[in-house]
Amino acid sequence: MADLRVERLVHVYRESGVRALDGIDLEIRAGERVALVGQNGSGKTTLVRHLNGLLRPTEGRVLVDGHDAGSMTVAQLAARIGLVFQDPDRQIFAGSVRAEVEFGPRNLGRSGAELSAAVADALAATGLEGETATNPYDLGGSRRKLLALASVLAMRTPVLVLDEPTTGQDARGVERVRAVIEAAAAAGRTVVAISHDMRFVAEAFERVVVMRGGRVVLDGSPSDVFAEASWDALRSTYLEPPLASRIGGRLGLGSTPTDAALIARLREGAEGPAS
Amino acid sequence: MSLQLTGVGYRYAGATAAALLDIDLLLGPGEVVGVAGASESGKTTLCLVAAGLAPRTVGGQIRGTILLDGEDVDAWPMHRLSARIGIGFQNPATQLSQVAGTVFEEVAFGPMNLGVPRNEVVSHTWAALETLRIENLAERDPFRLSGGQQQLVAMAGLLAMRPEHLVLDEPTAQLDPEGTRLVGDAIARLAAEGASILITEQKTDLLAAIAARVIVLDGGRIARAGTADDVLADPGLAELGVAPPAMHRLRRAAADAGVAPGTLGSLDG
Amino acid sequence: MAGGAGLTSAPPLDRGIPDFLERPGPSPVHRLNPLTKATLATVTAVAAVALGGLVGPVVLVLVAVILPAAAAGVLGRLIRTSLLLALPIAVSAFLVNLFFFPDGRTVLVEVGPITATAEGFGFALEILARILAISGAVTLFYLTTRPAALVIDLERRGVSPRVGFVANASVQTVPAMVERAAQITAAQRARGLDTEGSVWRRIRGIVPIVGPVILGSIAEVEERTMALEARGFTRPGRRTLLWTPSDTTFERILRWGLVAALVGLIAVRVTGVLR
Repeated sequence: MADLRVERLVHVYRESGVRALDGIDLEIRAGERVALVGQNGSGKTTLVRHLNGLLRPTEGRVLVDGHDAGSMTVAQLAARIGLVFQDPDRQIFAGSVRAEVEFGPRNLGRSGAELSAAVADALAATGLEGETATNPYDLGGSRRKLLALASVLAMRTPVLVLDEPTTGQDARGVERVRAVIEAAAAAGRTVVAISHDMRFVAEAFERVVVMRGGRVVLDGSPSDVFAEASWDALRSTYLEPPLASRIGGRLGLGSTPTDAALIARLREGAEGPAS
Repeated sequence: MSLQLTGVGYRYAGATAAALLDIDLLLGPGEVVGVAGASESGKTTLCLVAAGLAPRTVGGQIRGTILLDGEDVDAWPMHRLSARIGIGFQNPATQLSQVAGTVFEEVAFGPMNLGVPRNEVVSHTWAALETLRIENLAERDPFRLSGGQQQLVAMAGLLAMRPEHLVLDEPTAQLDPEGTRLVGDAIARLAAEGASILITEQKTDLLAAIAARVIVLDGGRIARAGTADDVLADPGLAELGVAPPAMHRLRRAAADAGVAPGTLGSLDG
Repeated sequence: MAGGAGLTSAPPLDRGIPDFLERPGPSPVHRLNPLTKATLATVTAVAAVALGGLVGPVVLVLVAVILPAAAAGVLGRLIRTSLLLALPIAVSAFLVNLFFFPDGRTVLVEVGPITATAEGFGFALEILARILAISGAVTLFYLTTRPAALVIDLERRGVSPRVGFVANASVQTVPAMVERAAQITAAQRARGLDTEGSVWRRIRGIVPIVGPVILGSIAEVEERTMALEARGFTRPGRRTLLWTPSDTTFERILRWGLVAALVGLIAVRVTGVLR
């Protein structure tokens, strides 16, 4: 199990001079499901690349299980933090689905039965178990993206970080991603994901961190972050709360970030006095 | 300003199965037609065929007829079609011209190629940049932008060509909600000026907002076709790998739970 | 158009051609006509080969590459980029000639079955000088010329834009490949690829990086071609040009002078007057 701590993290890109992170403090407990939301360019991707050492802080530090990530190599961090990038085509290289998924766990020194089990589980979770011998380039965009996810899942890292896992996915792919997140959380793994899909965020995560201009502007449960009191702050980052929240607010039902929450509240209202 | 596909089928070179079968589709002037469907259902192929790139550039075999404003385009070369039909691809990075050092020149590339007078190239380029709120990127190197910014630049490059017909393959895939809204507004405005637009999207909320009609593809065939309201409310949508728009999904969940959908009000915005 | 345009935007009709398109370059070298710079680069590269030996190419590099680069204020970047560009060929050519030069007699070092000879070393140095002259000349052009400038200038002289396009796109491909390789390296390091460990581990790590670089580039070529066609690039007839590079009589004489000098040099070499 792993917990993550980000302390006064500042990142300035050397080539462009852009201050992408402007003092982030964040603590993520082991087993939490956290969504990072914000406009393009708000610093979300820069933040997650610090978690596994691909980027190093300009100021501040990142702690993984209490150890300073600055003293670990990316290869060492990769055993604890699995990061799935947005674009699968920037990582797929192997001639078969199986070889692609084996690459990560092999780098971590896995072999034999342990390796086979990790690969089989990852392929089953992403629905690719029937494609082991397929050339990844023969898969459609949606399944290539699931393959990239499987290739990191198979590393069985205590922390899973996903950069926009649902973009370019069809409805079935989105459901797969959601099932993977829930199974990972059920197994006690920490999940951090970047997403623009507020409805997905409200339904699949227990905590939402909203970023703007390299800072955290809101941090709480979906119920808090999508509550009416937060709408102005949310809109200042050009984000809209999910439809269920907007309807719940309009009907004076309190915070209803998901369809299920809204409908439950409506049924309470129909059956007894609303509180 | 119409684009009509009748009995169109298409097979990629070297493929054993057809990628598209029996496609009948009419895009009238000022009309936005949405295309939904699972990954690998034929959406991208339909875009290539409708814009004329398949088979002209891609190769493969085509059947059926495509009429542009009533004229059969079968014998037209690509450059003649490209003056009439614009197309945007999913991956914005591959749409950069590679000969533009600034975003301004990148967006101006299309109208320059079409030989539009210089002052109009400049005004169309500014207008396109302003529509998508990216004037502030005008001097930047297009290669050094984020994926989302490149997608807006690619879209601006199409708007600057002032196309009569436009085919868009998931133009908002990499965009945040605000960028998605701006692209949606730009498409609606272009249609209001008379352009006919074919757009594929996974974001059915966007289709619900801008499309008059929607078709759903499944295995290269049209599985559903009709008004956006009817098709997007179809209970079988999920089985076709398409997520219904938020409002339709919520109404159905309410009905299933025994709550009158009317209590939700008509909050579509 | 409805009101409330962007925060900084002026009314659309007030905007003419943006001033940055017609802004002169920062140094006299930048302000040279692109064809002049292309001629200089070509003549330098060919002359370095034609001259042969060590002194000729070195003097040539000093006069035609280092001096103008210093005047343009790009010397640092020129050295970095051209070394990077020349490195793979330079290293292999140097080693091959050092160890396997056929007429090598004076043995410098013996490593098992292979020997390094003084003659081989001398010849390897000469080869190195030529490679550096070529990469330096190309880099100087690239660093002091705006991407579209040569295409536009050739087009104005009646050359098909496609010819200029191919020349330009191949130069532009280098930074794009470097950028892509950096992104792919990051994704593979996140999967535990050790790029910080032993030499052997690094060599093994090349496949998962080079694979997607090449596969991705090939896959993109078709899409790029389609995008160009769809944007009217293959339309016959004149394109509209937004700006044109300046040219002077002096530069025209300079260009012909350079070409004449090169022809003279080659003639001398072929007839063997210098030998």
